[in-house]
Amino acid sequence: MTSLYNFKGITVVPSAKELKEIVLSKTQRKTPTVVHRQYAISRIRSFYARKIKFLQQTLHDKLSQIINEFPKTEEVHPFYSDLMNILYDKDHYKIALGQVNTNRHLVAQIAREYVRLMKYSDSLYRCKLLKRAALGRMVKLLKRQNSSFEYLEQVRQHLSRLPSIDPNTRTLILCGFPNVGKSSLMNSLSRADVEVQPYAFTTKSLYVGHFDYRYLRWQIIDTPGILDQPLEQRNTIEMQAVTALAHLKATVLFVMDVSEQCDHTIEEQINLFESIRPLFANKPVFVGLNKVDIVRRGEIATEKQALLEQLEKKDIPVCELSTVSKEGVITLRDKACDALMAQRVQRKLQSKGYDNNIISRLYVAVPEPRDDKVRAPFIPPGALVKRTDRAALKENKNVERMECDMPQKFVIPEIWEGHNISDFLREDIEELFADLSKEERERIEAGVYDKDLDSDDEETKKLLRRALVIREKEELAKQEFRIKKGTDQPKVARKIGQKRTRTMENFEHAMSQLGVDISSKKMKNLESDSSHPIRGKRIRVGRSQSLVGNTALPRDVQGVPDIETYDKAKKSKRKGQRPMQQDARKGEGDHHVFDMKPKHLFSGKRGLGKTTRHVLEREDVVMISLILDDIDAVKGKAVEKLLIKLSLELDINLWNQKNMYEFESTGDSYLDMLVDNPDDDERIKIKNGIKGSVGDSEKIFMTVFRRSK
Amino acid sequence: MRLEKCYFCSSTVYPGHGVTFVRNDSTVFKFCRSKCHKLFKKKRNPRKIRWTKASRRLRGKELVNDKTQLIESRRDVPVKVSPELVQKTIEIIKQVHEIKHKRYAHLIEQNNVLEKML
Repeated sequence: MTSLYNFKGITVVPSAKELKEIVLSKTQRKTPTVVHRQYAISRIRSFYARKIKFLQQTLHDKLSQIINEFPKTEEVHPFYSDLMNILYDKDHYKIALGQVNTNRHLVAQIAREYVRLMKYSDSLYRCKLLKRAALGRMVKLLKRQNSSFEYLEQVRQHLSRLPSIDPNTRTLILCGFPNVGKSSLMNSLSRADVEVQPYAFTTKSLYVGHFDYRYLRWQIIDTPGILDQPLEQRNTIEMQAVTALAHLKATVLFVMDVSEQCDHTIEEQINLFESIRPLFANKPVFVGLNKVDIVRRGEIATEKQALLEQLEKKDIPVCELSTVSKEGVITLRDKACDALMAQRVQRKLQSKGYDNNIISRLYVAVPEPRDDKVRAPFIPPGALVKRTDRAALKENKNVERMECDMPQKFVIPEIWEGHNISDFLREDIEELFADLSKEERERIEAGVYDKDLDSDDEETKKLLRRALVIREKEELAKQEFRIKKGTDQPKVARKIGQKRTRTMENFEHAMSQLGVDISSKKMKNLESDSSHPIRGKRIRVGRSQSLVGNTALPRDVQGVPDIETYDKAKKSKRKGQRPMQQDARKGEGDHHVFDMKPKHLFSGKRGLGKTTRHVLEREDVVMISLILDDIDAVKGKAVEKLLIKLSLELDINLWNQKNMYEFESTGDSYLDMLVDNPDDDERIKIKNGIKGSVGDSEKIFMTVFRRSK
Repeated sequence: MRLEKCYFCSSTVYPGHGVTFVRNDSTVFKFCRSKCHKLFKKKRNPRKIRWTKASRRLRGKELVNDKTQLIESRRDVPVKVSPELVQKTIEIIKQVHEIKHKRYAHLIEQNNVLEKML
C-alpha cells in the first residue's frame, strides 16, 4: 500500500523524438536485417511483416508502461488525488494519459492494416515500401503527441519529489497564517530542516517531518500559510494546505502569532480559524500561541485575551509556546499526540471491520479467593525504600538546579619551545633553581662572562680589521661579477669594453679610494679623450678626422620610425642571440659536441646488474701456447703471419697480436703445442687438435714460447 | 604528546615526523628523518659522525653535565601536578633556558679563543 504513496518509481517518459529513436533502433537491432530479392516472396513478406509487428509491439509495451505506472486518480487516496488535481490539473492529466492510450490503439490499427496489405505485394521493393510507410506512420503519431509526453514527464518529475506522506498513520498538521512560525515549530519538533525566513510564503509546499513519541512514529506536516479568503480565490500553494487539512485524519495544530509580527492581528487570525473550522470536523484541534518570548499571553490587550478565552470555552485548548526558547513546544506536542491516540484507539475499537478484536479475545484469569487471608506480594524492604524514595523524587519535580559554574578544567601545557614541560616538573624544582641562580650570580661576579677586549694586541687588531675590509671587498667583487655575468648585454670586443670602463669618473673614484686626489684640471687630455663617443668602427671621411662627412645613418636607426620601436627591435635582436649563445653554438649548423662520451656516464660501478659483465666484450679466453724450437729462425713478421693465418683458418680472434711473440713465458697456458715448422700437415693437425679440445665459443689466446734447449 | 630525541643525531622529533624502530629485544629507536635512519641501518657510529650531537659532545663543542641540563631530565618519579606548580615551572623554564644559552655562548667563545691561539 505504501508504494502508492511513493511515486519515485515511475520510469522516465521519453520525449517523442527519443521514443522514436529508441523504438526504431530496437526494431533494427532485434529483427533480422538481411534479405535478398531472390528469396521466396513469402519469406520476404514475413521478413517485412515481422518488422512492422515488432515495432507495433515495442510501442505498445512502452506506452502501456507509461499508462500503468502513472497513478490513477481514482485509485489513490483522495488526499493524493486532490493534491494532484491542484498541482497538475486532473483534466489535463487525464487527457494526456488518454491520448497515450489512443495512440496505442492507432499504432495497432496501422500495423494490422499494413500487414494485411503486405499480402498483396509481389516484389521486395513493394514490401519494403510498405514497411517504410507503416513504420513512418506509426512514428509520426508519436510526434503529434510530443506535448503530452513532455507534460507527463514534468508531472513525473514533480511527483517523484512530493513528500511521502502516509495518509493513514498518525499525523499532526500545522496550519495558520504565513510567517507565524509553523516551519520553526516543525524544525524543533522533528528532524526536518525546513527553510525559515522572515518573508511570508517561505514554505510553498507541504513538508513532512517525523518524530517519535511513546515508541511510535509520528508524522508532522508543515503547510504553507493560509490567508483569509474564500475558497475560490485561493492559489495553488494555499490549496495544498487546505487539501491536507481536508483529507488527512490528523490532529490540527493551529499556530497563532501572539506578538502580531506576522502582519496579522489576533482578531484576523481567529477569523481565519473560524473560517476554516469546517475542515476540522472530526479532528482534535489545538491552538498554539507562538512567539510567546516576545509577548506573553497575559501582556496582550484584554479584548484579545477575551477572544482567546472564547476559543477555550469551545473546548479548544490554547497553549503558549515559543520556538525560539523552546518552552511549551513539548507539552503541546504531547497533548496533541495523546488526543490523537485516544481518538484513533476509540475508532479502532468501535470499527466492526476491525477483525482482530483483541479485547474480546483477552481474558484475565484471577484466582478465586478461597479464604479471607491476605496474600500480598512480597517486596524486600530495601526495594520498598527505593521505591518510595523514587516516588518522592518524582513528586519534587520543582527542585531547581542551582546555577553554578562548571569548574574550569585546568589544562597543563605540554610543550614549550621544543622542550617537554613534563621533564621539568619536579617537586624540588625551586631548590634546584635557587642553586642554579646562585651559581650563575657567582659566575657573573667572578667575571666569567666579561668580554676579553684586551686579548689582542694592536697589530692583531689592525690585522683583523684589515681582514674584515678585504672580506667585504671580496664580497662586493663577487656580487659585481654575478651581476656582470647575468646581463644579456651583447658581448663587446675587449677594446671597446675596456674603453667604456676607462672613464674619468672611474679613474677619479679608484684613485680617491687609494688615497690619491686628482682633479680634472691635471688630467686634461684624459678628459677630452673620454668625452668622445665610442663607436665600433670609426668612419673617416676626408683627410682629417675633424672633417666628418655626411655619414649615412646606420640601417638599424634608419629603418625604424621612432625610438620605442628602435628599443624594441634592439631588445628582440639581443634576445634572439641568446639561445645560440647559451648553447655555445656558432649558428644553426653547428652541431659540434664537446664531450661525446662524458666520463661520468661511462665509468663507475654498475648500479644494478651483475659484476660478471665487463666493460669489453664477453669472450672466454683460452690460451694456446706455441712452443717454437727456434724462435730466431721464425721471427718477426713470419711468426706474425703464421699466427694470423692460423687465426683465420681456425676462425678465432687473436688477442693482442703484437705482443704475442714477445712473451718469454707465461705459465698459465691451457694447451701446449709443439710446432716444429709451419708445415701444412702440422698446421692441420694443430687445427684439428685445437678444435677437438676447445669449444667454438671460446677465444683462443696464442702465445709463442721459446723452447729452452 | 611528547617531543622525542632522535637516537642518531639527538635532534627533537616532532609528532608526525620520523620513524620509530623497535628491535626484537624491544629496544626502541626513534629517528628524526631518513638520513639518520639510513645511517643507523648502515651501522654507523653516531659518535663518529661529526654533525651529530653525540660527536659534538665528545669533542667538547657542547655543554656537558651542566646544571641547567640536570634540571631538564626525564625521571620515572610520579609528580603531583597542581596549577601552581605548573606556573612556577614554566617561569623557571624560561629563566633556565636563558642561562643555558648564555653558558653555551660562553663555551663557544672559549672554543673560538682556543682556535685562534692555535
